[in-house]
Amino acid sequence: MALNAISYLLPEGLDLGGLKKILAESNHFSEDAPVTVKQTYYDSFDWRIWQAGGELVHGLDQPNQLCWMDRKKFSVVVCQGVDSTPGFADDIPDGPLADRLTAVLAMRVLLPKVNIIQKKHTLRILDSEEKTVVRVVLEKNRYTAVRGKQKGELEGRVVLKPLKGYEDQFFKFKQQLAALKLRPAEQSLYEDALVGIGQKPGDYSSKLNYRLDPDAPADATARQIMIGLLNTLEANISGTKANLDSEFLHDLRVATRRTRSAMSQIKGVFDPQQLEPFKQGFGWIGKVTGETRDLDVYLLHYPDFRAGLPKVIQDDLDPFHTFLQQHHKKAQAELVKKINSPHFRKTLKAWRSWLQSSPTKSGHAPNASRATAQLADQRISKLYKRVLKNGLAIGPDSPAEQLHDLRKQCKKLRYLMEFFQSLYPKPAIREPIKALKIILDNLGEFQDLEVQAQSLEDFGDQMLKEGAPASSLMAMGILVGQLLEKQVQAREAFVELFAGFSNESNRQAFRKLFGGA
Amino acid sequence: MHIIGVYNIKGGVGKTATAVNLAYLAARQGYRTLIWDLDPQAAATFYFRIQPKVKGSKNKLIAGKVDLDKVVKATDFENLDMLPADFSYRNMDLRLEVAKKPTKQLLSLLRPLSHSYDYVFLDCPPSISLVSENIFRAAEGLLLPMIPTTLSLRTYKQLLDFLEGHRITGLEIMPFFSMVDRRKRMHLDVMESLQASSGELLKAQIPYASDVEKMGIHRMPVEAFAPRSFAASAYQALWMDVQERLR
Ligand SMILES: Nc1ncnc2c1ncn2[C@@H]1O[C@H](COP(=O)(O)OP(=O)(O)OP(=O)(O)O)[C@@H](O)[C@H]1O
Ligand SMILES: [Mg+2]
Repeated sequence: MALNAISYLLPEGLDLGGLKKILAESNHFSEDAPVTVKQTYYDSFDWRIWQAGGELVHGLDQPNQLCWMDRKKFSVVVCQGVDSTPGFADDIPDGPLADRLTAVLAMRVLLPKVNIIQKKHTLRILDSEEKTVVRVVLEKNRYTAVRGKQKGELEGRVVLKPLKGYEDQFFKFKQQLAALKLRPAEQSLYEDALVGIGQKPGDYSSKLNYRLDPDAPADATARQIMIGLLNTLEANISGTKANLDSEFLHDLRVATRRTRSAMSQIKGVFDPQQLEPFKQGFGWIGKVTGETRDLDVYLLHYPDFRAGLPKVIQDDLDPFHTFLQQHHKKAQAELVKKINSPHFRKTLKAWRSWLQSSPTKSGHAPNASRATAQLADQRISKLYKRVLKNGLAIGPDSPAEQLHDLRKQCKKLRYLMEFFQSLYPKPAIREPIKALKIILDNLGEFQDLEVQAQSLEDFGDQMLKEGAPASSLMAMGILVGQLLEKQVQAREAFVELFAGFSNESNRQAFRKLFGGA
Repeated sequence: MHIIGVYNIKGGVGKTATAVNLAYLAARQGYRTLIWDLDPQAAATFYFRIQPKVKGSKNKLIAGKVDLDKVVKATDFENLDMLPADFSYRNMDLRLEVAKKPTKQLLSLLRPLSHSYDYVFLDCPPSISLVSENIFRAAEGLLLPMIPTTLSLRTYKQLLDFLEGHRITGLEIMPFFSMVDRRKRMHLDVMESLQASSGELLKAQIPYASDVEKMGIHRMPVEAFAPRSFAASAYQALWMDVQERLR
């Protein structure tokens, strides 16, 4: 039986020194010299470790140790030595912790969240042979922000640590502490420290999660949605500029796209004339962020591209990687300039102040004061009908353009359903979103593979001009062939997938939720 | 999991001192380490202040009958656990004889622990027996402390013959000099003759040092009570050599 350590808080009127005195009366222990350690907690920007039930701490007992803790049990799950500050999962030496991190983080980088300066004083409870049978650690903890000056004291803690093979003594000691009215801490030290710096774990997520009022006027709801998207967009700016990982830019672009979709799809709630400059502004943001994102995608795919080639020519692809990295560097520098430009800043600033201003009544916004729920039903069912009609019209010989258009409509429909999901019963709304996602994945693959194959050819041309070896171009040629082959498969799968999406039971589910056809 | 046996047919050559100190150093490096005291004399167990008794071990230390994990005890040191000695080991040879694969019992016993530990040190009793053969077959490396005397050379050759005779291959033999007294002519002579002839010999040597004897008073590894001593740095050098060899 593996026992976990228990973290206690002291009762009113008892401090660590007082506790030590009481313990000395009825226990035989020796004291280690107090030591002060600095621990830094890490997570991705979007708290993936936390969401997976963990806490990741660097320097728990030893300075170079990275440990995954179970945040509910407060226990160490797995530790690994690291020689540099944690970053990407790929850079952590192979081992069980690296495996776990790779699965949880994917492409996200680890960022320091908060530091804890811990002064530990360990009492070792001894048996008649002077053998340690239980460890009691008296902890004084302080937190400091990673950036900025926030810092402060945390409540003292007493940690009871079991030793394997000495379970009986551990239980006895636990009773002793309970009798002294120590109570097990409900929050981990990390949570305490986050409270200290005013952060809430999970406070950022790229997922849409609005709580909407079904009776609120539609224009107010639209603003609420758009402000949420703007917050997401802005939260990702500094990470995008620093290129901490590729997901910042991705989330920034998704927020941009969703904003544009909201502008056009939550129809008739604002005066189109007032909206026009913002539509253009966000269109511009979408455009200037595109190239870097494309290159990010190729870089993310690169390991798969390489692995998909026959072993003997895998190395031939390396110049393509160098090419991507160089171009990415350029594109990123260009992107930073754009983000720092007055136009970028002014666009967001003007948008926020427009969203926060009191709505100006306008005859050109017929839906402004309609109830949110009503407008949501109407817009979703209308778009759904269009998707159905256009999707069913696609046969094996329909031109690619038709599928690309359908993809755009499906995306709009998906965004609408996600914006408004809180208005519908929770388990029921998940089904159509999931069903639509299957279609979107297929259409996305169909289009992306085509674009990728085309880009790869363009890259090849450029590389040729830059003097790349013929072997690289041949390897890329094989890759293009593979991509196009997969694209054909995606195309072939579409009709059947769409038949599934448009079957009677799915249609009924849509009707039941959103009314209409 | 790396299994390292510390062995010599001869008694009193520094086997236990080696196992205890190296296991401590491995654990301090962050490796999850287990030391198994296979000697009924229980010297290693004594050094860690643990009571030499394995719960419910009467007649049962045969693979499949006992879960080693249940008898493991934490030492006072982070990452370092111990399988304490048991007086019933006295009869271990007899029990191994009746087991199904008598020479592979130790390995099967250790197998379930392979995900829990990075290093396992086996502190072996002197003599050649079925227990020793089990150790040779379980271990990846065999550390052989030798006092530099002509007699030790002979026992070393004996061991090599035994291994060859029993077709035990793939075991990394790591002899090294232990309890070296540089004031003794014979020590110097023997070391010189072996250094020239044996490529397997580890470079590090453990000197004859009173700090090693004091382990019995402090009841802990040298490094833990005399980290700056000559003996402590000798064990560090030895541990580096071993890691190098097993890489
Ligand atoms: N390097 C050393 N210098 C001085 N004394 C030593 C040294 N190494 C071991 N000793 C002492 O010699 C005695 C035997 O050492 P140890 O128990 O390590 O040998 P062993 O080979 O395990 O013996 P056994 O065969 O009885 O198990 C102990 O009293 C120990 O303190
Ligand atoms: Mg011994």
